[in-house]
Amino acid sequence: MPTVTINQKSLTVPEGTTIIQAAEQLNIEIPRYCYHPGLSIAGSCRMCLVEIEKMPKLQPACNTRVTDGMVVTTQSPKVKEAVSGVLEFLLINHPLDCPVCDQAGECYLQEYYMKFGLHDSRMNENKIKRHKAEVIGPHVILDTERCVLCSRCVRFVREVSRSHEIGIFNRGGQSEIRLLPDQVLDNNYSGNVVDICPVGALTDRDFRFQCRVWYLSKADSVCNGCSRGCNITVEANRQRAHHGEGRRVMRLKPRFNKEVNRWWICDIGRYGYKFIDDPSRLIQPLEKQGDELEPLDWSTAAERAVGRIREAKQRGGAGSIVIVASPQLTNEDLFVTRKFFGVDLGIDQIDFRIPDKNTLSDDDFLLRADRNPNTRGAEAILLDGGGFDLQRIIESASTQSFGLLYLCEQDLVKKLGSEPARRFLGQFDYVIYQGSNENETSGLANLVLPAATYAEVNGTFTNFEGRVQRIHAGIEPLGDSLPAWRVICKLAQTAGFDYGYESAAEVFVELAQTVTEFEGLSYEKIGSEGMKLPETQPVPA
Amino acid sequence: MIVNIGIELAKVLAVLIGVLNLAAILTWMERKQSAVMQDRIGANRASIFGFRMFGLFQVLADGLKMFVKEDFIPAQGHRFLHGLAPFVAAFFALIGFAAIPFGDTIHLFGREIPLQIIDLNVGILYIFAAMSLGIYGVVLAGWASNNNYAFLGGMRGSSQMFSYEVTIGATILGVLMIFESMSLQQIVRAQGQLLWGIVPKWGVIVQPLGCILFLVAGIAETKRVPFDLPEGESEIIGFFVEYSSMKFGLFMLTDFVETVLIAALVTTLFFGGWQVPYLMADGWHLPGGTLLAWPQWLVAITQVIAYAIKVFFFCWFMLLVRWTLPRFRYDQLMRLGWQMIFPLSILNLLATAVVILLLN
Amino acid sequence: MNRRDLNFAERLYLSEVFKGLWLTSGHFFSNMKKHLARQLGFTRIEKGAVTFQYPEERRPFSPRYRSRHRLTQREDGSPRCVACMMCETACPARCIYIVAGEHPDPNIEKYPARFDIDLGVCVFCGFCVEACPEDAIRMDTGIVEIAAYSRKEMIYHIEDLLQ
Repeated sequence: MPTVTINQKSLTVPEGTTIIQAAEQLNIEIPRYCYHPGLSIAGSCRMCLVEIEKMPKLQPACNTRVTDGMVVTTQSPKVKEAVSGVLEFLLINHPLDCPVCDQAGECYLQEYYMKFGLHDSRMNENKIKRHKAEVIGPHVILDTERCVLCSRCVRFVREVSRSHEIGIFNRGGQSEIRLLPDQVLDNNYSGNVVDICPVGALTDRDFRFQCRVWYLSKADSVCNGCSRGCNITVEANRQRAHHGEGRRVMRLKPRFNKEVNRWWICDIGRYGYKFIDDPSRLIQPLEKQGDELEPLDWSTAAERAVGRIREAKQRGGAGSIVIVASPQLTNEDLFVTRKFFGVDLGIDQIDFRIPDKNTLSDDDFLLRADRNPNTRGAEAILLDGGGFDLQRIIESASTQSFGLLYLCEQDLVKKLGSEPARRFLGQFDYVIYQGSNENETSGLANLVLPAATYAEVNGTFTNFEGRVQRIHAGIEPLGDSLPAWRVICKLAQTAGFDYGYESAAEVFVELAQTVTEFEGLSYEKIGSEGMKLPETQPVPA
Repeated sequence: MIVNIGIELAKVLAVLIGVLNLAAILTWMERKQSAVMQDRIGANRASIFGFRMFGLFQVLADGLKMFVKEDFIPAQGHRFLHGLAPFVAAFFALIGFAAIPFGDTIHLFGREIPLQIIDLNVGILYIFAAMSLGIYGVVLAGWASNNNYAFLGGMRGSSQMFSYEVTIGATILGVLMIFESMSLQQIVRAQGQLLWGIVPKWGVIVQPLGCILFLVAGIAETKRVPFDLPEGESEIIGFFVEYSSMKFGLFMLTDFVETVLIAALVTTLFFGGWQVPYLMADGWHLPGGTLLAWPQWLVAITQVIAYAIKVFFFCWFMLLVRWTLPRFRYDQLMRLGWQMIFPLSILNLLATAVVILLLN
Repeated sequence: MNRRDLNFAERLYLSEVFKGLWLTSGHFFSNMKKHLARQLGFTRIEKGAVTFQYPEERRPFSPRYRSRHRLTQREDGSPRCVACMMCETACPARCIYIVAGEHPDPNIEKYPARFDIDLGVCVFCGFCVEACPEDAIRMDTGIVEIAAYSRKEMIYHIEDLLQ
């Protein structure tokens, strides 16, 4: 275990640690372009040069391993001059088109120039013109003029996505990033090259010119695209509605989590946020009048729903009511659903599993076949009683008739196909749909209750490994929509059960006390990186 | 008989038209004079066929505007009294002029025509009464508007005018004691005498303190800056806050008519009325005994003009005061009225009495 | 603030009143003299008032005066603006609304598909001009008469601003 001293601060690190990693642990910033912890070391940009005692020349911090007794300086005049010189070289042919560049504001050329450069240009020659605004894939656009040839993107397609679409071509001053012949950067992880590009050479086509990055507010969340539960940041423009055609959520960025997704996220998840500000969002309760859905206010809608539930219960007993929850809902939503329908109303026909006719598959990296973020949580919360089998009713196509269906966030028409879905829904006298967006299924419901999307709520998702992870609201619920647990609370209040929850946190406290698998968990313990469900204790015989 | 009535009517008309026109011109003067005092130009845009006449048409434009604006009566106000108030105010301000002499007797076509509408032997009391009744306009306006601010303005107006009328009464007493008459014509005539053969025996010479006190109290009577608390444009808007159109116009006109009235009273009581120093009925009696004979009609006309100039000067002076001094606070107003001016006027009265006693 | 106590003469008020009247009447007479002299044709006499007769006479603006905005143009008449949102960001009144569009020329790349300034909200601070990296917005039109019959008309669009 060598001990290293960086800027007079000592640290003992494991064998094989590089200086840049050791410095990171000491919160000492060493500028870098080519170094990325998730990729192999290139050592090509020379920005991370540091002075090491008894070494005649400056050494790159990214590929120099720490030895015992090493004394490193990152602030000496020699280092500063060298870094400033490297930066000046990198900027020689840089077009300085920050006003049009989407990277402006999160660009490491800008940041390091302000921190380590601040020199006047000595460039008298004409700058070399290269390819600009070249579309190289469905999600990525390339500007070779802005490129500093750090090769992070090339290493990414070699080492992480292993799709090998791009490389560095030509030599010396002519070097530039190009697509390989007959290749398009269209792998499912292509968006990540935009994230790792330290400058504005690779930018996102989806985000292009939509909004400036400094308008964005950020909220830590978890991708709802599959059961992996990749950690993300929801970046929303909340105050300047004229940008991005009024969309609020502008982009999703992966958030580092060593145990789940590391630095990456797949394109399906990255671009799967469009439904949040889609015109199809349900923004007020609707009730079917004839063939049309007519708007009504929340209290009337809640009274209508509760009235229908009571009526169905009186007429056919609890057995005539079926609750279909959704693995898209948070643990808190599911818990309140169980509490109201299962415990307080005594309905035991609660399930969330809808067979999907579209077969989806895992890829070999992050994406999972189960495209729901909280299947594991739904199993833990809803199925610990076991018993009811929704699948049997759907597949048997029985003619048994029921009183009422309460359906959450599941597009049956899409999952089952139009004919089976209509047949299934036809078995119920009354259908209440609770969801965020309008779809064919909601169009078939008698009463529609608008729910908020995951970007608008606080709560937790449980990924396929049983890791419970926090999501934070990045924006306000659209229109009159409410977080699903609040919708249920409203119904419960109308039915005479006042739960008194003020926040999702309070729901979770009760959830952890009630559901065995969540025992001992709390928002504090989950933190920003999540926490696995404790191993369930075997029930003593 | 008919000729006599005609002459009386002519005099009434002459005074009425003169006073109303002067009041109207004062609205123009107020703007122009304040502008000149403040290095500005003042209203000069109203024009007829491109003739601007230094903004004189502004007066016409304002009048026209007043007539065509909506006449608003507050829903909860007293309709009749609300309508009556401005007329009460204007009426009592105007009738005061009846007793004010604007010239000596003129001899025309074998007639002796006194240049005064009516020579009351209690002229001062009459004017004093008319001025006091003018308060009713203010109080009625404040009360009938059913508006707290208007009512506050009306209350302020009545207490302010009541306070300062005491002083006016006390200072007038001094004048009466010296000139030994309540008839204004007699007072003016008495001011034609000379003291020690040189100095005209004007009220201001024999009652200097009384003159200043009367002027201050008189300005307070007009309810104009610095005594504009009943209006208080920047705070309560005042008793006419609920008035619009020509009813408001009447209140404004009353303000200026009162200005003219006070100017006329100051002239009459303290500045010799229509008297021109050394000009007697038969011509100029210069100090040293030389006589410059003038025909009587020329003397009379000169005196009328002199009177007009004096009144005009005091109008100008009151506008000057109005555009120089800031408004008093209400407690300052009351302290000034009751603790300074009123005791001073009593002192003035005592001193006058002592001096008259000693001289006799 | 320490106020000086009034002395006896000042407390009498009368002398101070006359001082005030002396000052204001002094202005009155000296200005009247000048007005009269000019009316009589002595035009070389100094004016009696500092007033500018506004629509006919205009006070010259200083070169730094901030009047209505304009967008500067390229040689082909298109706006120099590249929709970088610097002015929109700097604007303390948030009265600038820019929507960027993709320009067919990759060397220009970005252009303002929409550039609105709500002059009803603008505080004329000039930060937008300071912030602009392209010298695309200036406040040197000398236009100060900005009025409209509705709030909507106070919003100036890119066509208005380019003129």
